[in-house]
Amino acid sequence: MSNRRKSTLIWLSLSGVLLCAVVLAGALLGERAITADFTRKNLPPCPAFPFGTDWMGRDMLARTVAGLSLSIRVGALTALASAVLALALGTASAALGGWVDGAVSWTIDLVMGIPHILLIILISIACGRGLWGVTAGVALSHWPALARLVRGEVLQLREAPWLRMSRRLGVPPGRLLWNHLLPHLLPQFLTGLILQFPHAILHEAGVTFLGFGLSPEQPAIGVILSESMGYLAAGRWWLALFPGLALVGVVALFALVGERLRLLLAPASAQE
Amino acid sequence: MKKTISRLFSTLLAFTLLAGCQAVPPAETARDEHAVTVVMPPTSEPEAGFDPAFGWGAGEHVHEPLIQSTLTVTNPDLTVGYDLATGMEASGDGLTWTVTIRDDVRFTDGEPLTATDVAFTYNAARDASSVNDFTMLDRAEAADDTTVVFHMNRPFSIWPYTMATLGIVPEDSYDPATYGSNPIGSGRYVLKQWDRGQQVILEANPDYYGEKPKMERVNLLFMEEDAAFLAVQAGQADLAYTSAAYAGQTVNGFSLLSVPTVDNRGVNLPLPGFTADSRVRQAINMGIDRQAMIDNVLNGYGAPAYSVCDNMPWYNPALAEVGFDRERASALLDEAGWLPGADGIREMWSFGRAELTIHYPAGDSLRQALAAELSNQLRELGIQADPKGVDWETIYGEAYRTATVWGWGAHTPMELYGIYHSGNEYGYSNTALDAWMDEALACSDLELSYTLWQKAQEEIVKDTLFVWLVNVDHLYWVRDGLRVAEQKLHPHGHGWSIVNNVDQWEWTM
Repeated sequence: MSNRRKSTLIWLSLSGVLLCAVVLAGALLGERAITADFTRKNLPPCPAFPFGTDWMGRDMLARTVAGLSLSIRVGALTALASAVLALALGTASAALGGWVDGAVSWTIDLVMGIPHILLIILISIACGRGLWGVTAGVALSHWPALARLVRGEVLQLREAPWLRMSRRLGVPPGRLLWNHLLPHLLPQFLTGLILQFPHAILHEAGVTFLGFGLSPEQPAIGVILSESMGYLAAGRWWLALFPGLALVGVVALFALVGERLRLLLAPASAQE
Repeated sequence: MKKTISRLFSTLLAFTLLAGCQAVPPAETARDEHAVTVVMPPTSEPEAGFDPAFGWGAGEHVHEPLIQSTLTVTNPDLTVGYDLATGMEASGDGLTWTVTIRDDVRFTDGEPLTATDVAFTYNAARDASSVNDFTMLDRAEAADDTTVVFHMNRPFSIWPYTMATLGIVPEDSYDPATYGSNPIGSGRYVLKQWDRGQQVILEANPDYYGEKPKMERVNLLFMEEDAAFLAVQAGQADLAYTSAAYAGQTVNGFSLLSVPTVDNRGVNLPLPGFTADSRVRQAINMGIDRQAMIDNVLNGYGAPAYSVCDNMPWYNPALAEVGFDRERASALLDEAGWLPGADGIREMWSFGRAELTIHYPAGDSLRQALAAELSNQLRELGIQADPKGVDWETIYGEAYRTATVWGWGAHTPMELYGIYHSGNEYGYSNTALDAWMDEALACSDLELSYTLWQKAQEEIVKDTLFVWLVNVDHLYWVRDGLRVAEQKLHPHGHGWSIVNNVDQWEWTM
């Protein structure tokens, strides 16, 4: 048990460090990622440019890092926004019941009934595309699963003996929520948040790839991948391979961390 | 189990080897001497079909309609020649055009083509008013079987160029609902088959009145650029469009054909801000190294552009005299009061920094690269330019205040009018320029009108509207042995222009 806790902690801090490093490097390399230099166009990977350069002579390593950094920032923002939304709506729905519960449950069903990518595209276009369009799109489409989980959890907790007792003893609802309910929801919330993250990144890249997300002069992974499509037939494999691998790597890392955290925090498996 | 698999593999291998021995490329043996397969971009597939009244052959991407005949044609030097017409004359006031036509032409349904059909076609195109601009035409009428009279709303000296774009349809059987997918014309080819989204098959018209087409069957495929390249590699096409991005590749049995064009790219000026000063615009115009741009972005496949109509009969060659002189450009910017600041970007205390945004259509990698190269070169002049990819809606909506990498180039002087005359979408107006262009249109003599268009361009160069950058060569992979007939300067659009004279192409081996 302590073994899993330790390894999870190591994975968690490792990915935390990596995340910060990429974000920092992305900020530092931002200028380099968009600088076109036609004297060095279409270079295959070489010591000076480990990821090669594209048809405008842009450094693909810098672009990949800057793209990942942008993806991570968008991912973090949207994961946080949708997790908070899920927590608020899920709790409200279960705690208040009645028509609030009905409305929230109906909205959950509605959002879940529409394919994610379609919904994101619609919201993104409605919000004027770009960074905020994608963020809004991903955030507004990813809360229902977690919200449903939170709602179920709160419904269960509400009937717990100690909670019923505190209520009888006259603890005000605010304190009841803060002291007795939220601490129990924390594990679900945290794992939900972290598992949301790779999802958000992939969807951001996907929507951008399809041309409904970030604008093409921004060094986003989706932009890089969609640009690379036109050059694959000309044999420029490095334009897609490294950025693609980097994206998959980051997503896989966070999926792994989230899964481990879930095993550790979920009561059913925590004692294994 | 392992044995079975290995046996299976050896059998398969043996078969492949055997097949390999017989592998005389099927395309070589089965090649039809009189057929050719051409690949075009999917955007070239005519959405409304092959109906001239709804844009077939005309519009932004002008080309010869192949299936129909036109009254006039543009010659290789872009002067006007005759197809159906045998003579044309404008009245002194320019309000009437009288055109006589041949009497030996039949539609492919057997009906003779008469002046009535011509008049009908023009009136129908005017009423449909799709991508064709026929607002200058009041009505067309047939005086007799071989004489058509066009009554104009206003004088329009370049009417012969308009007549080169409109294919003539038969009045008796024309139905706008079905004609697009089932066209009847009198041109060099008939439409044999059209599989939407895939291909068009044209076959030579056996009753064509002119020279018999050498290519009897033309297969046109619509593919994205990378698919077109793969089709060439697989030997499935005889000619396929490509771009500078692929020009460095080599394909066995194919060579690269580079066709000069008037397919230009340029950036609109002036804009609110520092480019409102004409000296700044002149400095930008002379401070740009167009050849470097061609080498960097087009891998050398292009020519410097100095106007929207380089090398057309109405082009004024004086526009090219500006050349490239970065030092003089810098001096001019200094003179205009824009002096380099701490970071090298010029500024003027009352106006701020010399910076602008350059729009390009998202997804157009050529214009994106041009915008980046332009931005690099402008930085050398001390001007900061930030490329930004946006959708067409944004481009058109902000054209009056944001520089954009445009692509133009057509076989008619009307384009000059559309871009520069008052009422254009860039919000620019110049009365002296308007006057020259109005005079050119009102002129009753086409030859004379060329000189008036050239005068107009002198006005343009004085004020430096638009900075024209490059004419993009149209590149094609051509199978060895296919002789592509001489091309006129291609207009904007990398599609149908190449097959304008497909009837004269030949296999030489």
